Amino acid sequence: MASTSKNIPSTANPENVTDDIEPGACTDSILNPTDSFEEFASEMSSSLEERNTLAAKSSTISEIQSEIGESSKETLRETKSSDNLQSKDDSISGSASSSNLTEQNGEDTECERDEYLRSPELVNKEKHVFILSSAGKPIYSRYGNEDKLAGLCGVIQALVSVVEEQNQDILRSISTKDCKAIFLVKGPLILVAVSKSNESETQLVLQLTYAFNQIVSVLTLTQLNRIFEQRRNYDLRRLLSGAERLIDHLLIFMEKDPAFLLGAVRCLPLPEKARENITNAITSTCSKIRDLVFAILIAGNQLITLVRMKKYTLHPSDIHLLFNLVRSSESFKTAESWTPICLPKFDATGFLHGHVSYISEDCQACLLLLTVQRDAFFPLSQAKHTIAEKLRRSNCLVAINDALNRNKELPTTNPLKHIGIPEIRHFMYKCKSTAQLFTSDPISLDRLQDYRLRHKEGGDITEKKIEKLSDIDYVRNYRKFCSQIHCSSTPAKLIFRSNSENTVLAWVTNGFELYVTFDALMEKDHAIRAVDRLLHWIKKEEERIFIMHAPTF
Amino acid sequence: MSRCDFKIVLLGSEHVGKTSLVLRFVNCRFNSGTPYQNTIGAAFCAKRMQSNGKDFNVGIWDTAGSERYEAMTRMYYRGAHAAIICYEASSQASWTRLRHWLQELRTVEEDCKVYLCCTKKDLLDSGAAQREVDEEIVATYSQGLRGHFLTSSKTGENVDELFQKIVDDCVADMRVMKGVEEARVQLQKEDAAYRAKHKDYCFC
Ligand SMILES: Nc1nc2c(ncn2[C@@H]2O[C@H](COP(=O)(O)OP(=O)(O)O)[C@@H](O)[C@H]2O)c(=O)[nH]1
Ligand SMILES: [Mg+2]
Repeated sequence: MASTSKNIPSTANPENVTDDIEPGACTDSILNPTDSFEEFASEMSSSLEERNTLAAKSSTISEIQSEIGESSKETLRETKSSDNLQSKDDSISGSASSSNLTEQNGEDTECERDEYLRSPELVNKEKHVFILSSAGKPIYSRYGNEDKLAGLCGVIQALVSVVEEQNQDILRSISTKDCKAIFLVKGPLILVAVSKSNESETQLVLQLTYAFNQIVSVLTLTQLNRIFEQRRNYDLRRLLSGAERLIDHLLIFMEKDPAFLLGAVRCLPLPEKARENITNAITSTCSKIRDLVFAILIAGNQLITLVRMKKYTLHPSDIHLLFNLVRSSESFKTAESWTPICLPKFDATGFLHGHVSYISEDCQACLLLLTVQRDAFFPLSQAKHTIAEKLRRSNCLVAINDALNRNKELPTTNPLKHIGIPEIRHFMYKCKSTAQLFTSDPISLDRLQDYRLRHKEGGDITEKKIEKLSDIDYVRNYRKFCSQIHCSSTPAKLIFRSNSENTVLAWVTNGFELYVTFDALMEKDHAIRAVDRLLHWIKKEEERIFIMHAPTF
Repeated sequence: MSRCDFKIVLLGSEHVGKTSLVLRFVNCRFNSGTPYQNTIGAAFCAKRMQSNGKDFNVGIWDTAGSERYEAMTRMYYRGAHAAIICYEASSQASWTRLRHWLQELRTVEEDCKVYLCCTKKDLLDSGAAQREVDEEIVATYSQGLRGHFLTSSKTGENVDELFQKIVDDCVADMRVMKGVEEARVQLQKEDAAYRAKHKDYCFC
């Protein structure tokens, strides 16, 4: 656990200064506010048997289908498709499939393999992620070519199974002086992170879980399990083709965006009236479409609105996967897409069908209409055009563009300037009851893009003097505070750490989590008074910053 | 609810150039700079075209071609008037795969007009790619089909010709046209009914 002597977990509560406010709090939430840290706890307490049989829970999708009077033909067809899979394997085996490649590489000498592990493609990376099947076949490597990592995957597989079989135990992590390896076995897959970053074990397990969920999202858990039941040696890359890119992007996204750290969703700040108009445009257009489960409008990894079928909410991590899908797929920009999407938290056993398209050429907001009905493309396409037209007529596209382009007039564009507390350099705030997040410097898309490009070039660790800290650096710095706050044995409520570089205050209450970076050597009293003003500002702007309603169809 | 007169579906392995073909035809664009991105699920585009002096709305389904979505692909070619099956002359594997699509179409949608499309002609012309697929075999195969086109989405060569031929063939087909007429009449009825019901609500 990353506890240093400089950290002073305090018992003195700033509550004597701040009256009980919880900016953004709302009784009815579109998001399921369960904490991602709870998931970690359950992961850690799971027994061996529980873990190896990832039993799928009852299907929400069939529940909805039976409610709206659809028969379960969907499930029938799915079973059929997996039979195809079996026969296809045999018929294709002669053609140039990637499995041949592995065989060729199987002939590599031991020495060549070791050589590869030392190549610049692989050494000096801050964080590796490997995914392999429980039979030890490589599926994904963040860097390098996973084909050439068959040897390494064999070793990982052996380590995991030795601990399981001989000690009846679970291998969770291996630590060396400057590096930790985290292992996560999920159903038929083994996921490993090898990291030199300051992320805690919890945070790394969460990232691996996300990577697993990304795979489930393109295949469904049912299909994933079935494939490996039928053929333990199956080369999953054949079915994943293209999804590697999604995992690549997801890993970068998770390192940068505090939304993952806090298990929360960022909203696009909008005038209350504009958001209301947008929501009304969607509900009035879609209220008659019976099979529609969710209508979600997003822009730049931020949620604009979400309308849902009564009774159902979305988990932040499902929304993160949708953000990631949209963010990493250029193809949505040129045409209307129709694609199966599995949302693992919502229902890991089946696909929803998504109509995905950008609102218009001049507005980079993307609309996702998710249904349980696989033939619903045309009615949804029609609905999308109607919605886009309504948004244009009510000037909502302008409001969205203003927020996206960070129009200087808006108080949320540069909150620190607007709040007027010069000592605050950065803050991030999560409203717990709605799982929504607001930060002082929303990660600008360009910067994320820059980072991505740089990362593509290597992801190497560099010792660079940073002149001006970006939000990404602040977020990195919050990681250890965040893990102390979420430490399951001795969670801290308030952490105040002041040194010659900066002052950080991390504070969790029943209603929110707040992380603030101040100038160096701040007095605690002074910091607490500033936090009080900050909270009042967020409260004042809450209708703009957060989604305060939970509309249904 | 479909407002398209003709439905065309693109089939073929990943990376043979289906998305580029649609992008060239519909938007007159070719993205050479951006790295390859596989299509997620399937994508739909519509374009207005003329044939025999009349206007038609053509709907085009671009499929992913990946094994992952294969179980879903039937939905895209169900009811298709025409299918373009793409392959790359420099990839024997893509040709082998093409025969699979052909069989699928024969069993599921036998009335569908099938066109073969050999993509990336510019690469063959410049010698950047070598032909692997035997031309004679291709010729034998395309005999029973509506046509074989050698296209380049980069230069645009033969792209419009391919789609124009498809629409001309559809227009010349009495049975298809009867269906199109019926669908149009039906749609008009629905529209009229809708407008009658929503008199109080103005859309303009
Ligand atoms: N030179 C050249 N490249 C092409 C052509 N058509 C497609 N490509 C390239 O081939 C790759 C795959 O194309 P894409 O249309 O995405 O294939 P799809 O998977 O079948 O949709 C992309 O990198 C394209 O840029 C072409 O006509 N000429
Ligand atoms: Mg494509």
